[in-house]
Amino acid sequence: AFFTGSRVLKGYRGGHVVIRFALGGCANRPFFRIVAAHSKRARDGKYLEQLGCLDPLPNVHGERVAGLNLERLRYWLGCGAQLSRPAEKLLGRPGAGAWQRRMGVGTRCSRVSPPLLAGLAGFLPLHPMTVTGAERLRQRRQREQQVGTAPADGPGAGP
Amino acid sequence: GKAAKPKPAFTDEAVQTLLYKMTGIDLHKVFRPVKKELKPPQYKLMTEAQLQKATRKAIEEAKEKLIMPPVLDEREPIDDVLAEDKFLEGTETTKYVFTDLTYSIPHRERFIVVREPNGVLRKATWEERDRMIQIFFPKEGRRVIPPALFKDEHLGNVFQQDRHEDVLNMCIAQFEPDSPDYIRVHHRTYDDIDKHAKYDLLRSTRHFGGMVWYLVNRRRTDGLLIDMINRDLLDDATSLITLYHMLHPECQSAKEAKEGNLKGVDLIKVFVKTESQREGYIQLALQAYEEAMATSTAS
Repeated sequence: AFFTGSRVLKGYRGGHVVIRFALGGCANRPFFRIVAAHSKRARDGKYLEQLGCLDPLPNVHGERVAGLNLERLRYWLGCGAQLSRPAEKLLGRPGAGAWQRRMGVGTRCSRVSPPLLAGLAGFLPLHPMTVTGAERLRQRRQREQQVGTAPADGPGAGP
Repeated sequence: GKAAKPKPAFTDEAVQTLLYKMTGIDLHKVFRPVKKELKPPQYKLMTEAQLQKATRKAIEEAKEKLIMPPVLDEREPIDDVLAEDKFLEGTETTKYVFTDLTYSIPHRERFIVVREPNGVLRKATWEERDRMIQIFFPKEGRRVIPPALFKDEHLGNVFQQDRHEDVLNMCIAQFEPDSPDYIRVHHRTYDDIDKHAKYDLLRSTRHFGGMVWYLVNRRRTDGLLIDMINRDLLDDATSLITLYHMLHPECQSAKEAKEGNLKGVDLIKVFVKTESQREGYIQLALQAYEEAMATSTAS
């Protein structure tokens, strides 16, 4: 869209830089761009820099392709950018490595700081909600299985 | 016993000069018209000196076109696990492939990792790496999924049409030099050429050196030798045998040649007696060549 009138530069009160997903694509075909933008901007609006992309639908080989420009990501995180919830799930939460035990080596960030627990992408340490979410999912599946195998016991048979 | 000095590699200067001499420069074949957009031909009026200068410039450009593509060993498969997070098992159904898009790092050092549905974070295999790099940093002439042309059953069709050079050019554009597919296609092409003695298809192209290297390493030089003698390329035959001696210094003909310091036709005769399998054919070809030389000098 072209800028009309004299409102070319938008000035905000408050707001901060976030790294989040901007949705694009067509009907029933989403495509996310990983983007550094002001938090007050529209989701798909003007951003500061595109840092990568994510294709949520699996391709011919059954993989979801994601590209991340790690160098620029590190720059924006150094400038004090926040991460949105789905971005945190993908990349991890900065600063969460202190209380999680060491299991493996992260990718590029192992040069920056001592070995941290790998996030989903292996860039930052894993978000604790990912662990919790996985546990909850497993428990829910267990419950459903028990309900399915023992229907005669009545609805109060679950844990 | 074995020679103390290491085996000569493809990139050695001496080896490269020998291979380059054998490739030959046929300007008409190197600069044969490639399919481009139609332009009317340009005619220039030149003096003798200008024509010689233009020919020299053409030879320089031909030398650039004839630079040989690298011959490397097959690459080792990657299987490096970075992290195993068992509690992530079952949260996702498909795997994630993460590619580092930093512009300034070379493709070989790029980080491409795969997070499997069972929670394992591992480095991507070479095929996945090539695919991802082609998706994000596309190179001209290369496709994300390699064309079906490079499968063994379809290569036969291409060889019947005598299009070995085109297949090799496409292979160089599509695969990395150390990938198993590149090596397999090249070896199949060389085997087919050796079987049908179609060496002239690759002469004056950049693939000739690689083919000679392959044949000499496997000691299957007879067909090539016969072809060279039939086309009266004695110098090429001698350089072929010199290369053979460089690569297999423990064979008998190499020792005899070194003792006697033989050159030219004598070298070929010694080689034929000791090393070749098709002695009869080569002797016949040599006889025909000598008769032709005798008649031409006599007349």
